[in-house]
Amino acid sequence: MDFILQGVIQALRLLVGGDPETYSAVAATVKVSSMAMAASLLMGIPLGFCLGHFDFPGKRQARLVVDTLLSLPTVFIGLMVYAFLSRQGPMGQMGLLFTLPGVAIGQTILALPVVIALTATAVESMDAELRTSLLSLGASRAQLLAGSLWEARHGILAAGVTAYGRVMTEVGISMMVGGNIKWHTRTITTAIALETSKGMFAMGIALGLVLLLIAFGANAAVSFLRRK
Amino acid sequence: MPLFELHRILQAYAGRTVLTIDAWQVPEGKIVGLCGPNGSGKSTLLRLLGFVERPVRGTIHYQGRPAEPYADAVRGRVVLLPQASYMLRRTVYKNVAYGLRIGRVRCDIRQRVGESLGLVGLDPDAFAQRPWFALSGGEARRVALAARLVLRPRVLLLDEPTASVDSASAQMIQAAALHAHRQWGTCLIVTSHDHHWLQDTCDETVHLFQGRILGRGDFTLVFGPWQPGENRRLAAPLGRDQWLTLDPPPAGAAESDIAALDARHLTLHALTDPLPPGTAVVEGTITALALGKTSGQISVSLTVGATPFTAYLPPEMAATGHFTPGNKARLAYSPDAVRWV
Repeated sequence: MDFILQGVIQALRLLVGGDPETYSAVAATVKVSSMAMAASLLMGIPLGFCLGHFDFPGKRQARLVVDTLLSLPTVFIGLMVYAFLSRQGPMGQMGLLFTLPGVAIGQTILALPVVIALTATAVESMDAELRTSLLSLGASRAQLLAGSLWEARHGILAAGVTAYGRVMTEVGISMMVGGNIKWHTRTITTAIALETSKGMFAMGIALGLVLLLIAFGANAAVSFLRRK
Repeated sequence: MPLFELHRILQAYAGRTVLTIDAWQVPEGKIVGLCGPNGSGKSTLLRLLGFVERPVRGTIHYQGRPAEPYADAVRGRVVLLPQASYMLRRTVYKNVAYGLRIGRVRCDIRQRVGESLGLVGLDPDAFAQRPWFALSGGEARRVALAARLVLRPRVLLLDEPTASVDSASAQMIQAAALHAHRQWGTCLIVTSHDHHWLQDTCDETVHLFQGRILGRGDFTLVFGPWQPGENRRLAAPLGRDQWLTLDPPPAGAAESDIAALDARHLTLHALTDPLPPGTAVVEGTITALALGKTSGQISVSLTVGATPFTAYLPPEMAATGHFTPGNKARLAYSPDAVRWV
């Protein structure tokens, strides 16, 4: 038990003292997850809204595909993205392998089905009378879509937070596509894996605490927005 | 020019026909009541008139021109208060102001919202900033109505406006709707199971049954099973020793056929009144009286066994004192004035 307690104490020292290596991993994580979330929300919310709101041929099949992609293993995404970005791959000339944008591509693939599926569920579960109410109050087609999207905002926020949690905590993509390069592509999760394997619990615990803190901050922000 | 004209309307959900209307007109500025049992197509008709859905077949003309959902001619002018009105996930103020904002109506929004909340009996200072989830069922219904009234619509369609609310809320909803009619000439089209309220409020009532318009006025529906009676007529038992005997339909009646008796063809008689021999009558108990708004006739509810009948009583007959709730009376009907549905 002592080594865990010692680890926590040292972790707090690293965090309070502004240890550059720890904060480099934190910065890489925030940067890469922000890129991935921006891309997945920009694509996922409209796609999820369309999937939940409109009726079209093949809707059930599309939903089945999206739901299946929810259980994509991160190492498999890492493998596929690695294959695409490696020198022999179709996107090899872009030079994205072992870079943060490369990791962000993989994490976007991870987050996108989560955002689409949960947004579609939020839109589908809206009261059937919402459309009637908006139309009867004089909404145009565009105002009907905007109004429906706004009414589903709490569900969409939950979709974003869930996807963010998945992106922040994944190891497989960051390790395979990013390569865990110190000061460069080392993220919180890859650093924890590495430090633990070296027996350096303090840094692992410190980074774990930061991860929890970020998750708390994201959920607190959503809770505040829900009350708005 | 009629306000609404419906031509060869057919509406179906999941392949099942729920409403068929060959032709129907609604005059401008009237209060029209729609009555009929559950599943008769009242709400569907309101949704079509409110342009929130398209019919499978047929056309609806609004003020002489064909109209459909999203048309500029109807947006914000023809408004529907559905039975389960949805409260937008925002404050009461934003709920009521929504229609004005999206319609870019040039007015003092704050003042109009306050006025509308006042009309439905809600104090704007106390309610405007309340969130949507902090309202009782009756308050939510009144806020939903205020959100419609704020638009000062030409047509206000109310689907069971007083269902599931207490009597105080019901009175305020009714008063607010009538205010819109008097103040702005709003045409009200109302569905309700409150027969007496419709009778009291509406210029005309239209009876629907099984997705068809039976006609104007009050109808009593008598369900089978029908049995062979005297003189090749059909008879349905209504209660102890009470039989309704009718001429069969030309094609012959099935056991499940339903007879609709038009209140205009029914006459009330005191038990002591002499009747010509052979007059078809049933005897029942008077349960309620209501004064018709435009006809000046008194509408009488009379129950025979478990079947409620409605008939009209001329005011001079009411003065005899025979026709008060609780009294027994006889209902005479002309067997050939019955419609089979």
